[in-house]
Amino acid sequence: MHRSLLRKYGSSWRTGAIVTLVAILGALALVACTSSDEQDSAAGRGNTVQAVKDSGVLKCGVKQTQPLFGFREPDGTVSGFDVEFCKAIQAALGDGVGLELVDASDASTRFELLNDGEIDVLIRTTTITASRDRELGVDFAQTTFYTGQGFAVHADSGINATSDMGGRTICVQSGTTTEQNLADHFTDLGLDFTPLGGGDQETQDAFVAGRCDVWTADQSNLASRIGVLDNASDFVILGELISKEPLAPGVRDYDSEWKDVVNWVVHGLIAAEELGITRANVASMAANPPNTTVARLLGVSFEGGEVSTLGFDSVNAQFIQRAIAAVGNYGEIYANTVGDAVPRACSLNALASEDKSNCPPGTGGIQYALPYR
Amino acid sequence: MTQQLPAPQSQRIVLPPHRQRARRPRSVRTREWIHRNLFPSTAGTALTIVSVTFIAALTVGIVWFVFFDANWRVITDNRWLLFAGSFPHDQEWRLWAAMGFVFALIGLSYGMWSSLGRKDHLFIVLTGIAVILFMGHGGAAFWSSLWFLLSIALLFLGYVIARTIGHDRARQRSLLTRVILLRFAFDDAFSLRGGFDKTVPIQTRARAVRVALFPTRTGANRIVGGLLILALPLVLVILLAGGGASMRELDGFVLNLLLAPVGIVGGLVIAIPLAIGRASKLHAIKWTCTAYIEIVRGAPLLGWLFVALFILDDIIGGDLIIRTMVVLAVFTAAYMAEYIRGALQTLPHGQYEAAQAVGLSRGQSLRLIIMPQALRISIPPIVGQAIAIWKDTTLVTVILPLRELKGNADSAIAQSEFIPDRIEAYIFVAVAFWIVAFIMSRISQRMERAQGIGER
Repeated sequence: MHRSLLRKYGSSWRTGAIVTLVAILGALALVACTSSDEQDSAAGRGNTVQAVKDSGVLKCGVKQTQPLFGFREPDGTVSGFDVEFCKAIQAALGDGVGLELVDASDASTRFELLNDGEIDVLIRTTTITASRDRELGVDFAQTTFYTGQGFAVHADSGINATSDMGGRTICVQSGTTTEQNLADHFTDLGLDFTPLGGGDQETQDAFVAGRCDVWTADQSNLASRIGVLDNASDFVILGELISKEPLAPGVRDYDSEWKDVVNWVVHGLIAAEELGITRANVASMAANPPNTTVARLLGVSFEGGEVSTLGFDSVNAQFIQRAIAAVGNYGEIYANTVGDAVPRACSLNALASEDKSNCPPGTGGIQYALPYR
Repeated sequence: MTQQLPAPQSQRIVLPPHRQRARRPRSVRTREWIHRNLFPSTAGTALTIVSVTFIAALTVGIVWFVFFDANWRVITDNRWLLFAGSFPHDQEWRLWAAMGFVFALIGLSYGMWSSLGRKDHLFIVLTGIAVILFMGHGGAAFWSSLWFLLSIALLFLGYVIARTIGHDRARQRSLLTRVILLRFAFDDAFSLRGGFDKTVPIQTRARAVRVALFPTRTGANRIVGGLLILALPLVLVILLAGGGASMRELDGFVLNLLLAPVGIVGGLVIAIPLAIGRASKLHAIKWTCTAYIEIVRGAPLLGWLFVALFILDDIIGGDLIIRTMVVLAVFTAAYMAEYIRGALQTLPHGQYEAAQAVGLSRGQSLRLIIMPQALRISIPPIVGQAIAIWKDTTLVTVILPLRELKGNADSAIAQSEFIPDRIEAYIFVAVAFWIVAFIMSRISQRMERAQGIGER
């Protein structure tokens, strides 16, 4: 038997040809399958609010390896700034909806996870860009975090701005928009620099070890990673920002019902801070609203008037109230997760007040809720 | 072979006078050894100095890092995260029960088919001490340590039980015999007249009970073999059934420890028919098997994991972990099938003919003559593939939304206080993987020796 075996395998070009053909056909079939899949999912999954309520689980894609924003506690739970918004949306959807925090740490598959229905909403330090909005089948809700590309330098390097960085070595994470922004910026300045690439961690190592003079990344990332070092005072984070990085929740395209809910939960939490509604006082505010704006936001009647749902019938008028009761207002979320580690974008209250200490130069923008009426 | 007479044991060998040398004192011999092996020439001396300096620097560096420089709290504080992740805390006992079961099974298997050598004891004791030190360092680890020690105790208990049965020469023992033995052991205790007969030694009674209740060696072989085959489903039942964790809550090292065996065992189960099918004379079967092997082997595991994520959910559905298990088994099978086919081809043709000559059917000759030999020959490459797939389980973190040990280590160093400590975290991950790979390798060596590979 084995001789015949050998003869058959030895040099039959026909077998080889047929195997190749089968392989190619198989690959083609797989490609055909996937492309038809995408069309199915775009057309078929149009109502996430209903789908989540039916299944009883909100699948929220978060990062699990980002300090402050999405990481895991020693007991295994996932926490961070982004996770709080998942909890808020879960609460807004009403009782009986559970929360599954799906790992979306990998940057390259995050949008596929969303399009394939593995997750319902992506809250993972994702920057809104036009190309993502158009080409990747994702729709963005209100920005939850304003940051921008910043620079960290060694305190004794004498560098105070990007214009001092001519000819210096700059550590930058390879294959990111950060790298592209850096190249664009220095082209505009007409200066040369030596890039030193690598992963997120390697760039930090190289910078701390002095292999490069400058380290560039999202300013929130720089602040959260440098602040915890033993010799944090040896480094300075410059106020200058060379790009805008608004981080926002993403949902699937063509599902405006779902996008509206996510969007207005974020706006609602920001509005709650502006109106002074906190996790602690939300119940008493709802029982006895001080004015029509608060009453409308919390979905309760003001002095016996009618409750306006504003068309949010699928989640009922009190969805923002539930979200606040679950996680607190935007300011509380920020204080509990990010805290002092990263300077906050200005709130409208801070900008309007005489005290500008909450809006130092270099903070990433101004954040205010759109009118909920 | 010519027969040799055994040399008389008591007689000392006396060398002829020209070969006799005075036995020099130990210090002289040591000095000579050093001179001969370390400082034989100028080049040799230089080499010795360089090597000793290098080894000393390395040792000092390692000791300094491990005992003084490293912050192992990143590991000890994150014990639960690294090992179990999102496994529900109130179901912790299930993890320990599964561990105890697996340890006991390892002990039973070793006792049944092999023996623990001095090196194995040393390895178990050292690993055990390291694990308990780690748990103790994290604080509040009394119960964990106790559970762990209990698991190790179960390992040795299983080993001792299997060894005891191993000495039982009986092939079979009827139920009647067992009943009679039990009657003998307890008859007088229940009799109304005489009461307990103190003249019968307690050891005799114990022996009767043991022989009556324990299975014979053949029976025990079947029981342990069956348990080994059912081990994986049983572990899953322990972890998941009746209000345990949900599939998605399998996380951390637990996930690695579940994925790899499914890939290895499932792969082997698929591989055997594939290897036979590829050697079939029926073209349809042959080409199907060949196409399977070539297509699956031709793409990297990373690609097939993408298939599990984005394509299989529409074809077979089910939880992502199930789909990943399917992909791992299917992927491993393609490699293992080729190893087995290679082994099939090395078997002498006479084996097939001999099987035919004694009148065995094709199925019988495969089952009784061919496959046992082929599988025995292919143990080393199959274990190599098993170790490879064990390490490849880290890939699920890279592209799938699943978190195994390496992924959870990444999460641990995202905690603000441990951001600078990722060298420690990754060293721990490497050591954890190494320990399991080393155990697999040891078991493979044992199996090879027990099967007499290389001695045929």
